[in-house]
Amino acid sequence: MKKQKVEAKRENVLMLEDLTYSYENESGEQEILKGVSAKFEAGKMYAIVGRSGSGKTTLLSLIAALDELQGGDIRYNEKSLRKIGATEFRLKYVNVVFQQYNLIKYMTARENVEIAIDFDGRKADANKYLKMVGLSEEEGGRLIGKLSGGQQQRVAIARALASNSSIIVADEPTGNLDEDTEKTVIDLFRECAHEENKIVIIVMHSKRVAEHADVVLRLKRGELNVA
Amino acid sequence: MMANLVLAAIVVKSAVAAQMDYAKSTLGGTVTIQANMDSVREEQRAKIEAGEDKREMFGKMVRPQISVSTANEIASDASYVRDYSYELSVSANSNELETVESNSRMPGGMGGAGGFNPFGGSSSSEETALDGDVTISGINAYAYISGVQNESIEIKSGEYFDEDSENGVIISLDFAELNDLEVGGTITLKNVYTEEAVELKVLGIYDSSEQMANANIIYANTETAAKFLSGDDYNDGDYNVSNVNFYMVNSETAEEFVTKINEKYPELAENKLKVAVDTSEYDAMAGSIESVGSFATMILWIVMIAAVIIVTLIVTINVKDRNYEMGVLLSLGATKKNIIWQIALELVIVGSFGFVLASLTGSFFAKALGNSILESQMQSARVQEEKSFGRPGAQVGGRNGGMPNMPNMPEMPDGASMKQKMFAQKEETVELDINAGVTDYLLLFVAGYLVIILALILPSVNILRYQPKQILAGKE
Repeated sequence: MKKQKVEAKRENVLMLEDLTYSYENESGEQEILKGVSAKFEAGKMYAIVGRSGSGKTTLLSLIAALDELQGGDIRYNEKSLRKIGATEFRLKYVNVVFQQYNLIKYMTARENVEIAIDFDGRKADANKYLKMVGLSEEEGGRLIGKLSGGQQQRVAIARALASNSSIIVADEPTGNLDEDTEKTVIDLFRECAHEENKIVIIVMHSKRVAEHADVVLRLKRGELNVA
Repeated sequence: MMANLVLAAIVVKSAVAAQMDYAKSTLGGTVTIQANMDSVREEQRAKIEAGEDKREMFGKMVRPQISVSTANEIASDASYVRDYSYELSVSANSNELETVESNSRMPGGMGGAGGFNPFGGSSSSEETALDGDVTISGINAYAYISGVQNESIEIKSGEYFDEDSENGVIISLDFAELNDLEVGGTITLKNVYTEEAVELKVLGIYDSSEQMANANIIYANTETAAKFLSGDDYNDGDYNVSNVNFYMVNSETAEEFVTKINEKYPELAENKLKVAVDTSEYDAMAGSIESVGSFATMILWIVMIAAVIIVTLIVTINVKDRNYEMGVLLSLGATKKNIIWQIALELVIVGSFGFVLASLTGSFFAKALGNSILESQMQSARVQEEKSFGRPGAQVGGRNGGMPNMPNMPEMPDGASMKQKMFAQKEETVELDINAGVTDYLLLFVAGYLVIILALILPSVNILRYQPKQILAGKE
């Protein structure tokens, strides 16, 4: 009992330990990440900024366990991703929100959210998460194609919330949105971090958006530093 | 459509199997006692080598036959024998009756009681048999007259004889019309050996649908026919009979019965008689049925292979179309096993719906396809036989007419050739009961699910290679 309480109090922490990543192309071996290390704490929104081709998406793919680790490790609450396994890590700990939303087009907004709930094996009302991102039940019943870009991004965030993951990573989530919607979406991510006590990591170009993050990290020449 | 074809092939195959079982139990269950021609020829060769005159020896040749008492004794074993039949064919003369000399349905010269008999008629006497005006075909039960069996003979008026019908006969319509005979009337025929007159009562008048039928054949039971044998051949009522058939209670015991007869009656072999299981009817029918079965098997394999290929392509295309969805699911934590399982489940649901639909419509479709297969196979069987024998229905042998050069051709008392019989039997017996049963439907489902499993292999290998990052980055 005592041990359980201690664990409950412990902060959820994601650690990147000396991550390296490279690939080969016509120009030879390209070193994308050169020993990236960082610590991400629950309840904070992090922004990772950097130029195109700096390796932001690669780093996000590694954090989201969508790509295989080459060098270094990722630990969540001291558990190694290598031990947890990519599939289980994706299922239990991390959820990704993509720039292109990555929603299943022939399903309704609600059904897209329900997938995440089903995978988690919980019984929850998808409408609750849709409501959290400002979508009505009526909008939840619409097919994805019938929703605007901003609404689709909200569905993607609702899905991330519904998955009950402790880590939400987002790749340019506001890239396709107008300024007003951009602000709404960023506010949603902030709420996710601050009110849902999640680790929110957003990869982005826009310095303006990055200003809303609690911590801004810059990825430059394969190295990650606090901006 | 695929499921319909599979069901059709399965149904035809089961119908063939059922028909083969039925044929085995009916057509394969006959034991015959007939002349052992190999022994006869061997004896002839030995005699020729010993210097005997060929022509004289041919005149003295005796056709091995079995006595009616022995045939009856063998037939009395009710544990094996369900029924039996034997024949006795004799000639008789008539002073008062006219014979159908040139049968309206027969080429000239083929009427009358004469014709080919390498053994000197049916008599076992060593004397040369005498040809009479008419043939009396004695058979212990009218049902075993071959014309009755193949339904080429039909009673136009009166009734058939039975084993108690003393001196009762049935005559042909042509013969009756020629002599103004009616049912209930009498005819008097003379024994060609003893000149003794026997008065026979006309019990019925038959008509034959066979083109080559001999109108001068009078059918009677063997007791009546035996009255026209010579004194020696009559042998105080223990005369010889031919075409002895024992119809088995259970066809499986036919071989056992043959062994038992050979053990109990060694004199049969000594008299150059051969006891054997008659499979000719079964073989004649089985050929066509088996070819239908083989064709159905071939169709089943082709359809199954085609189905696997087509379903594999459909699933592969479907998976490719949905790989973005698969990527999303993988990014949400779904395992590749989950994805394959989902595809399999979808296939099973769609497949089951198709199988149920095929089950509802398949029986009708299977019937149409089965009959079409059967018809094409029968047609090719006919063409094959025409090539082998000549024109269908051509008479190639027989005791009452035909070419006197085929001593091995089985005797047909009504003058029909063996080939005609074979065709008649094929037409009659090759009737497949093409109806889908529970087993057929079960097999359809098993075959269908097997196709689904096989069709899933290739797409599953593709899914196992999936990397969510590649898919979601649009690189796959």
